Amino acid sequence: MSELLVRSLEASTVFLLAALGELVNQRSGVLNVGVEGLMLFGGTAAFVVAKSSASYALGLGAGVAVGALLGGVHGVFSIRLRGDQVISGMGLWVLSFGLTTYLGSPHTGPLGLPPFPTFAGLSPFVHAGVLLVVAVWFVLSRTSLGLAIRSAGENPAAAAASGVNVPAVRYLCVVFGGTLAGLAGAAYTLSYNPVWNYNFLMGWGFVSLALVFFSMWNPWILLGGSVLFGAMWQLSLNPEYVLPGVLSRYVWRTVPFLVTVVTLTVISTPWFRTRWGLAKPQALGVPYSD
Amino acid sequence: MTREQHSAQATARPPVLRARGITKAFPGVLALDGVDLEVEEAEVHAVLGQNGAGKTTLMNVLFGLVQPDAGEVYLRGRRVRFRSPHDALAHGIGMVHQTRKLVAAHTVLENLVLGHPRARGLLDLHAARRELRSLCQRYGVHVDLDARVWQLPEGEKQWVEILKALYAGARILILDEPTSALTPPEVQVLLRALRNLVEEHGVTVLLVTHKLPVIRAVARTVTVLRAGRAVARLPVSEASDQELVQLMVGQEVALPGLPTDTPRGGVLLEVEDLCAYNDKGQLSLRGVSFSAHEGEIVGVAGVTGNGQDELAQVLAGLRPAASGRVRLAGRDITHLRPLDRWRLGMGYVPADRSEVATVAAFSLVDNVGLNYHFDPEICRRGLLDRGRLERLTRRILATFRVKAPHPYVQARHLSGGNLQKLVVGRVLSRQPRVVVAHLPTQGLDVEAATFVRGRLLEAKSRGAAVVLISEDLDEVFAVSDRVGALYEGRFVALVPRHQTDPETVGAWMAGLAGRDR
Ligand SMILES: Nc1ncnc2c1ncn2[C@@H]1O[C@H](COP(=O)(O)OP(=O)(O)O)[C@@H](O)[C@H]1O
Ligand SMILES: [Mg+2]
Repeated sequence: MSELLVRSLEASTVFLLAALGELVNQRSGVLNVGVEGLMLFGGTAAFVVAKSSASYALGLGAGVAVGALLGGVHGVFSIRLRGDQVISGMGLWVLSFGLTTYLGSPHTGPLGLPPFPTFAGLSPFVHAGVLLVVAVWFVLSRTSLGLAIRSAGENPAAAAASGVNVPAVRYLCVVFGGTLAGLAGAAYTLSYNPVWNYNFLMGWGFVSLALVFFSMWNPWILLGGSVLFGAMWQLSLNPEYVLPGVLSRYVWRTVPFLVTVVTLTVISTPWFRTRWGLAKPQALGVPYSD
Repeated sequence: MTREQHSAQATARPPVLRARGITKAFPGVLALDGVDLEVEEAEVHAVLGQNGAGKTTLMNVLFGLVQPDAGEVYLRGRRVRFRSPHDALAHGIGMVHQTRKLVAAHTVLENLVLGHPRARGLLDLHAARRELRSLCQRYGVHVDLDARVWQLPEGEKQWVEILKALYAGARILILDEPTSALTPPEVQVLLRALRNLVEEHGVTVLLVTHKLPVIRAVARTVTVLRAGRAVARLPVSEASDQELVQLMVGQEVALPGLPTDTPRGGVLLEVEDLCAYNDKGQLSLRGVSFSAHEGEIVGVAGVTGNGQDELAQVLAGLRPAASGRVRLAGRDITHLRPLDRWRLGMGYVPADRSEVATVAAFSLVDNVGLNYHFDPEICRRGLLDRGRLERLTRRILATFRVKAPHPYVQARHLSGGNLQKLVVGRVLSRQPRVVVAHLPTQGLDVEAATFVRGRLLEAKSRGAAVVLISEDLDEVFAVSDRVGALYEGRFVALVPRHQTDPETVGAWMAGLAGRDR
């Protein structure tokens, strides 16, 4: 049972890290629907580098760097070129899907390193995730950088007229978002499930994206949502812990996705939409030009 | 004191802010053409000019939002270059923009702190609140620091912007058309407060406006801009209203060469005491009455924002009338849907040709179809007759001299002038009995503008009643049989063209109601 708890928290952390980065870049007004792709690429880079160098540190560094780089690419498309952010994000996902399949398949199989070190019985990614939630909350709500980020996402023209460098703030945020997506991918392939296979994420990035909308861009609600989803995912793998013998595990495994559908449906009700509309960054997904 | 003496005095006391030879070209327009500006310390300096004169562009240059192609800016005698608003703010220049630049979802306090030079790292909202309280007290302003900006009335939002500039340490305050969104009492409060800022606190105010009463109330000196040039700088006390209007409008107002010889027929359009709300829920059309006769062009002059949008949209059926009546050939159409109005012979040329009048991604054929989809000639039992529609489009392209490679090109690829010819052609080819044309030549080159005016005159000689809503006095005088001006939602007057002149109508547009020369 405590094993289940640990595994749930580790799964939650993967959702949390990716979603937290996405939350920050959305608060600055940039939508990146390609988180799944960034996680796939970051995770694969981390796996391959760690496997060939036998170093977790190098693998982690590679995953984070690749995520940051792809975040920067999305930034160039959506900030500098003022392109359609959904198309750029989807493009990044398709590209990553294809390239990681090609680059990763020779490494299909287990990582073959000693298990990832733990800290107080948990993967250190879990601790990092919680600390990052506190940090993101603090920066967004208590610092002038946070105010600049939120203003860039609400009304970039007003921010610019107040002396804020809107493109710089947005770049900072997309690169941060990419970094955390890469970190999330690395957490998956190095610690949560250190076995590489084709499309190993199976949509976790899209679940993270949905979590951001569901959280109404609030890091604490996001933390709660991630824990909930992580627990549900883990339960779907081991339903016998709770309700032995009820339903097949394949039915259980659809639960997180069903919940996503239900969540999105709830989000689209008028009742929710008014509250949600107030929380949603007004300029989300809108290219800024002065 | 003559004008020369005044400028001699200005050199004796160095201006706090000076701009020399500011030039700025946008694609297709020379917005500023070697503009000089001198502002003295602790005065209200007005910048007067019609729409499009370049006032906002000049202010944006001074605030670092726009980089000039040429020219220099001096602050207290020292050359400065502002690459962004950040630089301008750091030099004590603050700006309140023509369009609100506030984050609506944030609190007033957060908006005030955003971008503040001292707000680095941690946000100390408590200290900011204390400072702002005392600032409010000093300037006699009351705003609720914890309210969300979207909850505030327009007048208070403006206060937030002014307060924001002062809080950032501005000693020079640029206000771009600050009265345009305010109600008359709010205007009075603002003007009193500006006087107080200048007299008691030594702030320098640069006030951009096209309203003469506002200048009279607060400004000491005025610089007049016309078509990107500074045409005069003079003390307000020495300038007569007539002189200012003449400077603003220009003497080159060319009177018509076009015949207006069609005899006036019976009344086609009757508008009675029409009122309407704008999008913000303010009553911005406040009792307009007029009629338009068969074979007549009624020119409605006025500066945008005085109820023109609402008038055009209510006539077209796109905005409900709050009260009043509209009759077309004797039939009450006040509550008819746009389509029913079209069927009765109403034609509408919207002000915004690329967003409202056409769909950019549609072909020209489909865009023409937007005005014909209900026509039994084109649409039978719900099916569009594509062949006929294409022939019709070809006819419009030829008759209205639209330069387009072929009828199936997307509307987005047409230049402004050609697109407008298409829109006008689409409307006029239906042979409407009443035409409402709103800013039909805005932004067009001389050739296209002349062509469009010519087509309106043609419609008139065919017997249509044309309501031409325009900001361009030359245009209004060139084609109208009767001329009126809208100011703050009302007609100042409506008289036969030969009984008035551009200066008089310019004065009406500037709010000098019914004052005769
Ligand atoms: N960003 C821009 N791009 C292209 N043209 C512009 C831009 N800003 C202003 N203009 C043009 O420059 C001219 C002056 O505009 P503006 O300074 O806004 O005038 P005003 O404030 O006096 O009404 C107008 O013809 C306007 O269409
Ligand atoms: Mg302007």
